[in-house]
Order: sequence, then C-alpha cells, then structure tokens
Amino acid sequence: MDPNAAYTSAAGVLQLIPEMIVVGGAVFVFVGGTFAKSKTAWSWVAAAGLAAAGLALWTQKVPGGFAGPIAVDALGYTLRWLVLLLGGVFVLALARPAAAGQAPEVTGSLLLAIAGGMIVSVSGELVLLFVALETISIPTYVLLYVGRKDSASQESAAKYFFLSILSSAVTLYGFCFLYGVTGSTHLAEIARVLQNTSVAAVADWGPLPDLALVLIFVGLAFKIAAAPFHFYAPDVYQGTTHENAMLLAVLPKVAGIAALIRVTTLAMPLAAGTGWRIALFLAVVTMTVGNMTALWQKNVRRLLAYSSIAHAGYLLIGLAAGFAATLGPQGSRPEEGLGASVFYLVVYAFSTAGAFAALAYLGSPERQVDTVAELAGLGRTRPVSAAALAVFMFSLAGVPPLAGFWGKLSLFLSALDVRSSPGLGASRQTWFIVLAVIGALNAAVAATYYLRVVATMYFLPPAKEPRAEGGGAVRTAGGLCLVAVLLIGLLLGPMLIQATQDAVQASAPVPPPKPAQQAQIDGAPPSIVR
Amino acid sequence: MYDLGYLMVLIPALPLSAAVVTAALGKRVLREQSHWPALAAVAASFLASAVLLYRVYEASRSLPPGSTGFQQTVSLWNWAFIEGARPPFDLAINVTLRADPLTAVMLVMVTLVSTIVIIYSIGYMRGDEGYWRFFAYVSLFVFSMTMLVSVSNFALLYVFWEAVGVCSYLLIGFWFHKPEAAAAGKKAFLVNRIGDFGFALGVFLLWQIFGTLNFESVTQPDGTVVQGILGEQYLQQGYPAGSSTLLVAACLLLFAGACGKSAQFPLHVWLPDAMEGPTPVSALIHAATMVTAGVYLVARCAPLFLASQVAPYVVAAIGGFTAILAALIALTQTDLKRVLAYSTVSQLGYMFLSLGTCSLAGVTAGMFHLFTHAFFKALLFLGAGSVMHAMGGAIDMRDFSGLRRVMPRTHVTFLVGCLALAGVVPLSGFWSKDAILGALHDRAHEGLDPWIFHVLYYLGLVTAVLTAFYTFRAFFRTFYGPERVPAEAGHHAHESPSVMTLPLVVLAIGAAAAGGLQWWFADFLGRTPSLSAPAMKAAGPAVGFHWDVALLSTVAAAAGIGLAAALYLKWRSSIESSAAIYQSPLYRVSWRKFYFDEVYLLTVVWPLRAVGYICFFLDFMIDNLVNLCGWIPRGLGIVLRPLQVGLLPFYALAMVLGLLVLIGSLLSWY
Repeated sequence: MDPNAAYTSAAGVLQLIPEMIVVGGAVFVFVGGTFAKSKTAWSWVAAAGLAAAGLALWTQKVPGGFAGPIAVDALGYTLRWLVLLLGGVFVLALARPAAAGQAPEVTGSLLLAIAGGMIVSVSGELVLLFVALETISIPTYVLLYVGRKDSASQESAAKYFFLSILSSAVTLYGFCFLYGVTGSTHLAEIARVLQNTSVAAVADWGPLPDLALVLIFVGLAFKIAAAPFHFYAPDVYQGTTHENAMLLAVLPKVAGIAALIRVTTLAMPLAAGTGWRIALFLAVVTMTVGNMTALWQKNVRRLLAYSSIAHAGYLLIGLAAGFAATLGPQGSRPEEGLGASVFYLVVYAFSTAGAFAALAYLGSPERQVDTVAELAGLGRTRPVSAAALAVFMFSLAGVPPLAGFWGKLSLFLSALDVRSSPGLGASRQTWFIVLAVIGALNAAVAATYYLRVVATMYFLPPAKEPRAEGGGAVRTAGGLCLVAVLLIGLLLGPMLIQATQDAVQASAPVPPPKPAQQAQIDGAPPSIVR
Repeated sequence: MYDLGYLMVLIPALPLSAAVVTAALGKRVLREQSHWPALAAVAASFLASAVLLYRVYEASRSLPPGSTGFQQTVSLWNWAFIEGARPPFDLAINVTLRADPLTAVMLVMVTLVSTIVIIYSIGYMRGDEGYWRFFAYVSLFVFSMTMLVSVSNFALLYVFWEAVGVCSYLLIGFWFHKPEAAAAGKKAFLVNRIGDFGFALGVFLLWQIFGTLNFESVTQPDGTVVQGILGEQYLQQGYPAGSSTLLVAACLLLFAGACGKSAQFPLHVWLPDAMEGPTPVSALIHAATMVTAGVYLVARCAPLFLASQVAPYVVAAIGGFTAILAALIALTQTDLKRVLAYSTVSQLGYMFLSLGTCSLAGVTAGMFHLFTHAFFKALLFLGAGSVMHAMGGAIDMRDFSGLRRVMPRTHVTFLVGCLALAGVVPLSGFWSKDAILGALHDRAHEGLDPWIFHVLYYLGLVTAVLTAFYTFRAFFRTFYGPERVPAEAGHHAHESPSVMTLPLVVLAIGAAAAGGLQWWFADFLGRTPSLSAPAMKAAGPAVGFHWDVALLSTVAAAAGIGLAAALYLKWRSSIESSAAIYQSPLYRVSWRKFYFDEVYLLTVVWPLRAVGYICFFLDFMIDNLVNLCGWIPRGLGIVLRPLQVGLLPFYALAMVLGLLVLIGSLLSWY
C-alpha cells in the first residue's frame, strides 16, 4: 500500500452506508425512546431500518480489494447479507420481549449489535475490527441485563461481561504483537509483509508472529465458544431467555469466524503452520467436550449451549483445513476449507436460530420452556411446532436432505482434501484424516441428543400442553429459519458451498503465493514450525 | 389398429384407477358404496377384453394360412435402460403390452370371473368393517393380473408376478385380527417367495443366454433388431444349441416360480391355508385366476421348454404327482373349502401334466382346462361361500347336512359345478379333461419315451376317479342326508340373497356350456406366435378326439360318483359311525395331508429357527458391545461435567490456562 495515500477516502466511507443506516436506526430508537412511550413501534422501526440497509446493500457493487480500512470484497458482501438476514430474525424474535420490557433499550442495542456484526464482516483493519467486535459485545451486555429480572439472569450477564472483557484484552494483545511485527494495522499490508520477507527478517521476528496468532485465536475462540474458552456459554444460555440465547449463539459466532478468517488465515500466511495445529487441536477438543457433555443435559438451553460449542468445533475444521492448504503443496485450495466454514456458519445460524425461535414460541412471557421433558408429546399437541423443531434438530444433527448435512459434508471433505507438502512426510494429511474421523464420530454421538429431543416430542405421552404464547413475530422468525433450512437442504446446498468458496477465493488480500515463494514459506527457515 | 392399443392400455388402467379411487375415498366418502368403482371399472375392463378378443380373433382369422400367428404390441414408455449392460447388449425394459390369442383368452377369463366375483362380494362382504379395503385390494389384484398376462417382457412379468403375490397376501390376511388368517397370509407369502427366488434366477439366466428379456423382437432406433426370447427368429429357426444346459436350468427355475404360484408339489402347502381369506377371494384368486399364473407362464414359454428337452418331463411329472397327491388328500378333508382347495391343487397339477407333453394339443388342452376350471371352480367356491354365509361362518361338513331344501338355488348350481369338475358328459370339465387325457394318450403312443406318458396317462385316469369321488362326497354330505344346521346359523338358515345367487347361475351356465368352445378355442390359441412355431406343430396336431379315452374317463367319473353315492347316500350312517375307518393308517395319512406341514416344520422351519436363534444371540452380543461403545461418550461426559462449576474466577482461570498451554506448546516447538 502506498504510505502516502489517504488512510481513508470518501469512497471507502460510502461503502458503509448500510451499516450507517442500521446505526442511525439504533440512534433514532434510543433517542425516540425517551420521548415516545410506545413499545411495539420500535420493532417496526428496527425492521424498517434493516430493510433499508438491505436495499442499500443490494445496490452496492462488489469491486474487490480494499478501500482504506474497509474490505470491499465478496466475503464481506456475503457475510453482511448473512448478518442482515439474521438481524431480521433477531428483531422478529425479540419483538415480544422488547414490547414486554424496555423496548427502546432492547431494540436499539440489538440494532447496534447487528451493525457491529456487519462491520466485522468488512473490516480490513485491526482497529476497526476491534471496535466492531466491541460494538457487538457491549450492546449484548445490555441485552443480557435487561432480558430477565432475576438473579440467574444477573449472574449470567455478569459472567458474560467479565469473561468477554478478558477475551477482548487477549485479542487486543495479539493485535499489538501483529502491529509490532508488521508496522501496520492494515490487513492487506500485514499480509504483504508476512509473505514477502527475507530469511533474516523471519529470524529477527522469532516466534512473535506465531505468538500474535495464538493470542488472537484465543481471544476470538471465546467469541465462538471453543473449548476451553467455552465455560461461560452453558451458564449464560441457561440463565437468560431463549431470544437472548439465540443472539448469543449466533451473532458472536459469525463475527468470530469472520474475524478469524480475515486476520489469521488470510492475512498471516507466515504463521499458518502454527495456525493449523491450534485450529485442529481446538476443533477436536471443542467438538468432543461439547458433544459429550451435551449428552447429559436436561435443560434445553443448556443442551443447545453445548450443541453450539460442538458446532464451534466443526467450524474450526474448515479453518484448520484452510490454514493447512495455505502451506501448500501447489494446487491446494485454502478457500475450500474456509468457504466450508462460512457455509457452515449459514447452516448453523439458521438451524440454531430456528430451534431457539421454536422454543421461544412454545413458552410464554411469564414462563418459558426450560427442560427437554416439557416437550413430551408435542408431536400431538403442537404438531407444526414439533415438526419445525424436529427439522432444526435433524439439520443440526446433519441428517440429509437438510442444510446441516451439506454443511458437515463440505467441512469433512475439505479436511480430507488436505495434502501434505512434499518433503515434510505424510503427517499433516494423516492428522486431517484423523480430524475428519473424529468429526464424523462426534456427529454420530451428537445425533443421540438431538434425536432424543425428537423422540421426546413424538414418542412420549403429552405432559401438560405448552402455552405456545410466544406470539406471531417469533413464529415468523422460526418460519423464516425453517424455509432457509429446507431451501438450503433440498435445493441450494451445493450451489451455496461453491459460492462461498468462490467468495473466499476472491477475497484473499494478496494473490495466492507463487511456487517459489511457496517453498520459502513452507521450508524450514521462515517458519518456526518445522 | 390404434384402437387395439387403446384397449390394451384401458384393460389394466381401469382397475388401477378404481383401486386408487377406492383407497383414497373408500374409508370416508364411499363407505358402504365402495363396490361401485371396482364393479364399474372391472366390468368395463371385461367389455374391453371381450372387444379385444373379438378383434384379435378377426385379425388372426384373416391371416394367410401357414403364417406365424398374430400378435400386436404397444410400447408405452421406457422403464429402465442401461447401455451396454452386457456388451453388446443394452438392458432395455420397455413397458410393452401385447395382444395375442393367449393373452386375449386370459384377459377375458380374468375380467369375467372378477366381475362376477365382485357382484357376489357385494352381498357376501356387506357389513364388513373393511368393506372398502376389500374392493380396493380386489381392484389392485385385477390390475396386477391383467398386467401379468399383458406384459411382453420377463422383468415386468416378474414385477406383476410379485404384485399379484402381494395382493394375495393382503387378501388372505384380510381379517388380520384372526391369528390363523395372519399366519396363513405369511405362509402363502413365504412359500411363494421360495418359488419366486427361482423365478428371479431364471430371469437372470435368460438374460445371460439371450441378452434381452423381451418376448418379441424389437427394432432399435439404429435399425438393428434385438431378437426377443419368443421372437420370430428363435421360433422359426430353433434355439441355439450351445446354450442347452443353461436353457434347461432357466426353464426349471422358471418352473420353480410356477410351482410356487400355482401350488405344485413341493410348494403346494400354502394354498389350502389360504382359504382363511374371504371366500370370494378364494374363488377369484386362489382358484380361478392368480394360481393359474404358473400355467400361463409355462404355456407362454412352451417353445422354450420344448427346446430344453428335459424340462417338459419335469413339468409333466410334477404335475401328475401333484394331481394324484392332492386328490388323495382331498378324499378325507371335512372342511368344504379345503376339499375345494386341494381339488384346485389337483386340477392345476392336471394342467401342468398336460403342458408337460409340450405338444400343441397338450398346451391348448391345458389352457382350455384352465379356462373351464375357472368357471366351475369359481362356481364351487362361491357356492361354498353361499353355504358358509347361510351357516353363520361354519364350513366344516360335519356340522351341517341336508341343505338342499334350505338352499335350493345353491344346491342346483353347486351340482352343476360338481358334475363339471367330475368330468361328466356334456359339461365343460368333461371336454377339457378329455382333451388332456387325449393329449397324454397321443404322447404315450408316439414320440419319445412313451412309457413315462403311459404312466402319467393312467395316473390321470385314477385322479379322475378320485376327483369324482371327493367332489360328490362333499356334495352329498352338504346337501343330502338329514337336515342339520350348526348353532352359528341360528334359526334362520336361509338361501343367500340374489346378488349372490345370480353370479352362481351365470357361472353355472358357463361351467355347463363352455365345453362347446373346445375346437374353436384350440384353433384360436394355436394362432399365438409362440404356439404356432414349427417345433410345436411338429409335436402333434392341435385337437384329436379319442372315443376310447372319452369312454374310459366317463367310466372313471361314473365310478367315482357311484362310490360316493353308495357311501354317503346309502350307507351314510354306518360310515359316519364306523371308528375303524377313521383309525386306519391310510385314512390318517390322507387326513393329515401326508404330513407335509410336519415334515417341513422338522426339516426346514426348525433348522432355520435354530440358525435364527444363534444369529439372535450373536446379535445380542454385538449389540451389547456396541452399547458399551455408546457408553464411552457418556463416560467422557461424566468426566467433563464437574469442570462446569459455575464460578466466574474458575472460568477465567481456565481460559488463561488454556492460553498458557497453547503458548507453551508454541514455545516448545520453537
């Protein structure tokens, strides 16, 4: 990048018009909330804001490359659409709790978090990225705090608050090292520096790039609830409402994976050797811990919390494969694993959001569904809700022909496509085969608890009839998720996998390394990993 | 000629649509009116079949003398296509329907009997809670059966072979809440599966030999001709000599399928049990139509069997043996429907005996017996059903007697059926049985291996005596003697309603008069391409009437009837009170059906069950091993759960420790 060029430009700022609309909406809600007493109007305002942002996004072109700190590329475009659509689901799901409580605070905070998620998707610069991540976190604290007025809720809000701050600090620490090594906060510049470097420079840096990677990875692993940074999730989900749990399970995960892809896999090729090991290790631990512990859960939000932990593990498979493919050999496609992860995000987000929406619908504002046992006989008492919940469970379990199947398929295939570089022995490929096998075993174990929910609904006699007073808005949210899951599963799956992989490929900050440089990266001296 | 194609499609399509309509609307909408779709569709199907028969007859008559017979096919769509399945052959299964004299005759017979039985069922099944279900199944059966005789390809023949088996299973177990009915349905299905397995292997072998499964030759789009198994070239020039061993195997395997479906020894055990189904089903499926599918198959493939040289002997031997075996069992049975069931087995054996001669005369005689048998056996079954209806469900002949005054119309029509079955001049059974014996007689006096056919000829005569005896034994025991009705009938034992007796009358007329069609029938059937092959014609002329044979068979029938009259009219009381007869070993062997069920239980069922138990045990072990593996994740869960202590400082510590471990490992790599 030309150091004399303006750090940011009018064209770059204009790229953020959709986010500005969403933030503007949030401001309008916050300010208006002090004057107008209405409680139901704010959700409409939020929905209108999101629709306007969608319109603005629709008219944007995807030129590719960077406009200052804004990464205007296909990956950003894809992720922004995902966050925006999920934002619509969140607004619908939270409409009723908002109307029942502090509507302006809830709606405004939600809009800010959505805006934060969209900015993370397009961040091409470390400071912007950090600010965007905090733009998600801080409104989330508020949402958790106002969600329910009991001690469990307060406790969960406090836990999330403190641990989130800790993770932010670790992330920031990693960013510092990255800046220190490369002299830039700009991801394109960082990628350039970390790629075109001499043996001497690499020796000079020592382990610092890898240290930065570890710190960033750990900080963001908290966002996606990967073990052993996952402990907050079960407690927090259980202590809050279904609607808040939905937000927590989905939005930070999208942001975390987006940031991990942008910063670690795409911008730090030099540290890829460390990266694939960490990602693989965390994937195995996270999947296993999540699934094994989920087997024992009776509380349905806790069950889904462990489920979301396990899915963080699956998401890391694609990341690990992406790292490994960055190292070569020639012809490896980092975008295969990374695209699979992005696609899995889509699948996971709609399945999980749908499950939470269905559960929220089945409860009432006073009393929500807490245990799996309360779902007994739902197939007879609430056939439509039961069928929808069953579809989400099957999708999460990865049963064809639903969306989750395509997600797991693309992830495991990307792991199996990893090849060892010549001269390094077969170890890397072996590790990834082991990873795919462990992933498949975990998927089988996971089916146990997902299907237990289905079995409870269909094979047990009805307990007492659920209230099902969640309201029409959350029902619509669940319906949208159902359509997405079925549509992706039956029709769009393979096409979307290809599309996300193409998007990732088009969004690499620097062109793929040439074979000569490849050898340098892959060889012994530049990397600390031998 | 297009209208012939429309007819061919219409005949099976109508019952199928009736089945769909009845299945969809029967339970809620049609309810007590559920018979209308089936009746309308099958009756229309019969009319279409009659028109088809007439057109085929016209067309075949206008053929020049010495031509190769008449057939027409209509190809609907391509069901399966595998290019180069066995180079150079493609596996192409076209849904092709055919019209030729053999198919036309079968279609008319099937749809006519079906129509009559459906009318009868309106009365017989009235008030049953599965009323709509019954007519849905019967319509489905008529569809499957008409397709079975219409298709022009061995693969599709197999498909509908199984389809009629399924319908049979559904209808035997129609009253599935009765354990005997459910067990009988299962038995029928399983025994049939054994035969069908042979059939499937036979079809595979045919594919191996011929590289096609089509009956007729098919001209492909590129102009090459795939010679059908029953196509012009093979019929006129004979089958390739090199494949004779395979051909024998294929024919015998096909015959195994025929044995299962047509209840021939050793697979005959299912048919008597199948009488647990509703009586109209016994009449339609297990007497007149489905069980003749095996006969149709062998008749259809007659040139093939003839070319294999060995297979016809097996067919004739099995047929002859079954005929006399079943007749011997029928002598002592007291369940009226079972007597008729064993009679059916015996008569089917007669048909195979006739087909086994593999001369044109034998095949047409066998088919003609199939045709007349359909009338008089359906008549007898429906008559038995009428008795059963009046007796409140009792069908054991020891429970009732002297019903001729109670049920006069049933009595007369049943008598016609008995006379026809016994082969009394001039009823239809006489002519068809005589044709069979004549064909055997001819075969015994000319051609190869005369002694075998001599034996079979006399076997046939003895069977004729036995047939006449057991038929009239049943008749006299039911309708003569002191008037007795069982308790189940209550005080109002009465003649059945006319919706049931009218079909009896129609069938009785058919059973009495159908014999007159014999010469026309044989001539017409002989115009089927596969039966007009030179090889078939060389094996003997179509029809020959032998005065000596006719005389002998009449004497045989008279002897049987006379013996029955003597025993059951004159000395009835002394017979029934004589314990010595019931204790005699011969009586017991016949009464216990030659212990076939027991032998099969000992040699087949128990060993298989023992193997089953061993497998079950292994499965149990493996299952538990798998369950043990299933506990590993849960065990891991138990270990991991206590980490979730709920304390914020511990969570923070865990995160920091995780970070330190990662950094530590990083530095250790460095």
